[in-house]
Amino acid sequence: MSEPFVLQNSGHNRDDAASKMGMWLFLFTELLLFGGLFLVYMIYRYLNPEDFFNASLDLNVLIGTINTIVLLTSSMTVAMSITATQKGDKKKALWLLWITIIAALIFMVNKYFEWTMKFDHGLFPGMDHYNHLPHGERLFYFLYFMMTGLHALHVIVGGIFIFFVIRYIQKGKVNSSRYMLQENAGLYWHLVDLIWIYLFPLFYLIK
Amino acid sequence: MADTKNNTHNSQDVHITSYKEHFGIWLGLIILTIMTVTVSVFGADIQTMTVLTALVIASTKALIVAFYFMHLKYDPRIYQIMIGIVLLLFIVFAVLTLVDYVDRV
Repeated sequence: MSEPFVLQNSGHNRDDAASKMGMWLFLFTELLLFGGLFLVYMIYRYLNPEDFFNASLDLNVLIGTINTIVLLTSSMTVAMSITATQKGDKKKALWLLWITIIAALIFMVNKYFEWTMKFDHGLFPGMDHYNHLPHGERLFYFLYFMMTGLHALHVIVGGIFIFFVIRYIQKGKVNSSRYMLQENAGLYWHLVDLIWIYLFPLFYLIK
Repeated sequence: MADTKNNTHNSQDVHITSYKEHFGIWLGLIILTIMTVTVSVFGADIQTMTVLTALVIASTKALIVAFYFMHLKYDPRIYQIMIGIVLLLFIVFAVLTLVDYVDRV
């Protein structure tokens, strides 16, 4: 009888490069998911230019701009927190990540006010006012709720992801020599920001 | 790149981006945001211009986020190649889909 096969190094496998590449592969699926929705937007807009123009006038550019700045700032703090971890500054890394989570909350609160205003005007698909809008405006609002809703879901998931990273840093599992989890959380958060960079002009700004 | 570094502890000789650089990138992104809002709010009468400028500015911002915040600039080239392939794939999807609509009279 031969000895049972034991993988050398078992139980301690670690491959940072593969970890990062895995995250990027996941991000590609996200890009194509939103890419498909952007394609739908392009076609609906191409077929209903007048209605899309009229409907976009009702969106609040100020809230949209504030949320853009909030997300860009949170992207910076999460990137800075990785710098802090790399330099071994645990305290700074933690508060930079907390700022990121607070930014996510501010974003969601703004979104809440924005959406409830739309609900009050009966603009959610199925509501009375919505049902009497021209065809193209209905498509606009349908896409608006669909795409910003899906994006908001990603903001929530990203916030939870970052919260886990905070716990791991506190426990010392993420540290200056092992921080791939934090980098991957950062990559995810930047993707959320990246998608908003396109959503914002497409819905709020293009007239 | 030395082959010995390929497998396990490859987070050693990494490029650490300074706080200052991150802040500079942020400042650039904010300026671009203000630009695109200004063009939209005050230049609404020149329709096609705003569509194009908005998308060009958005893509510039996206590239800045990807290259600096997402660290692509300092990562192995393979990531840029992979992203290029994904973008190309999306462009192919988009063109194939749009051809129908643009071709209708």
